[in-house]
Amino acid sequence: MSNLKTTLTGYASYRGKEGHYSFILHRITGLGTALFLIIHILDTSFVYFFPDLYQHAISLYRSTLFGIAEVGLVFCVFFHGVNGLRVAFFDLIAPRLWSVPKQRFSTKITLLITLLMWVPASAIMLYNMLYHNFGWFGG
Amino acid sequence: MQIKLKVFRYLPHTGKKPHYDTYEMEVDPNERVLDVLEQVRADSDPSLGYRRSCAHGVCGSDAMRINGRNMLACKVLVKDLNSTQITVEPILGLKVLRDLIVDMEPFFDHFRSVMPYFVNDDPIPEDGKERLQSPAQRERFDDTTKCILCAACTTSCPSFWANGKYVGPAAIVNAHRFIFDSRDTAAAERLEVLNEDSGVWRCRTAFNCTEACPRDIEITKAIAEVKQVIYSGKIE
Ligand code: SF4
Ligand code: FES
Repeated sequence: MSNLKTTLTGYASYRGKEGHYSFILHRITGLGTALFLIIHILDTSFVYFFPDLYQHAISLYRSTLFGIAEVGLVFCVFFHGVNGLRVAFFDLIAPRLWSVPKQRFSTKITLLITLLMWVPASAIMLYNMLYHNFGWFGG
Repeated sequence: MQIKLKVFRYLPHTGKKPHYDTYEMEVDPNERVLDVLEQVRADSDPSLGYRRSCAHGVCGSDAMRINGRNMLACKVLVKDLNSTQITVEPILGLKVLRDLIVDMEPFFDHFRSVMPYFVNDDPIPEDGKERLQSPAQRERFDDTTKCILCAACTTSCPSFWANGKYVGPAAIVNAHRFIFDSRDTAAAERLEVLNEDSGVWRCRTAFNCTEACPRDIEITKAIAEVKQVIYSGKIE
């Protein structure tokens, strides 16, 4: 088996516990954030190289599709950040926290903190999108 | 109880592609998955290949993926799987030689790479007897002495699936056992191996190893402790 196939088989079919899913989510949210950063660096470089295209890019960002993608992006950034802090704290400062119950509990708390930050943020973002793109709430 | 057992099959000499065989069978819920495999081999298919020796969780030869999770077949009861469907597959990331048997050599190469043996060339103590150690010093590495080299941890690790060069949790556990042994003198050499690209830094703390270990070794913790020794330069 190639390594990529083994990896994807493992990701998808290994029935790990909280840590396995938290690891996969960390990967996906990391990839999501990296993808956004690449696009963002490209579009910002348009300001210098192709100013007309830059305007076009900005109007694309205001489209509904990008608005929804941005809500996902914010989840990616929040989860990746909070989980990264958890892992760094456990691994670098307090290895004794790597016990089964503490690790399981901490992955759940990480998700909870992420949601507590993400739900209000996405509510504001969706409100703005409905206001500007659909004329809701008197927009 | 009636169960449906699905087993990964691969017999290279038959020229057939890897596939799954299914067996409907009547088993006692208090039987272990290993007993179920023995039953298949005795009653239905003597060609079914798997490793086992002690049958009591001591030798570490029958790690396999049971319902998607690494376990020792001799340590898990059918009733504890909470399912009448049981899927048995070889551990992931090592080449399958036949059915549930994988090539363990790369795993043992990694194990050997960390010098998993006691090193101390100092002259023996004056009384000509033992090198003394306090109970607290012995306790420091007690957890990592329990490893039976079953490979359940290493083959549950996403970093190992992605890159077989990673030494893997089992090798680090066995390095930890000697690095933290106050009588041993080769910690620096082991840490050098573990500080390489294929060493401890590939651990992304997915925690599958700790969850899979049949000896309940706190593997991720042991790995983090080795990381700490590397960046602090202190063995505490
Ligand atoms: S650390 Fe645990 S899971 Fe890993 S090889 Fe040793 S006994 Fe098996
Ligand atoms: S057969 Fe020895 S550990 Fe299972």
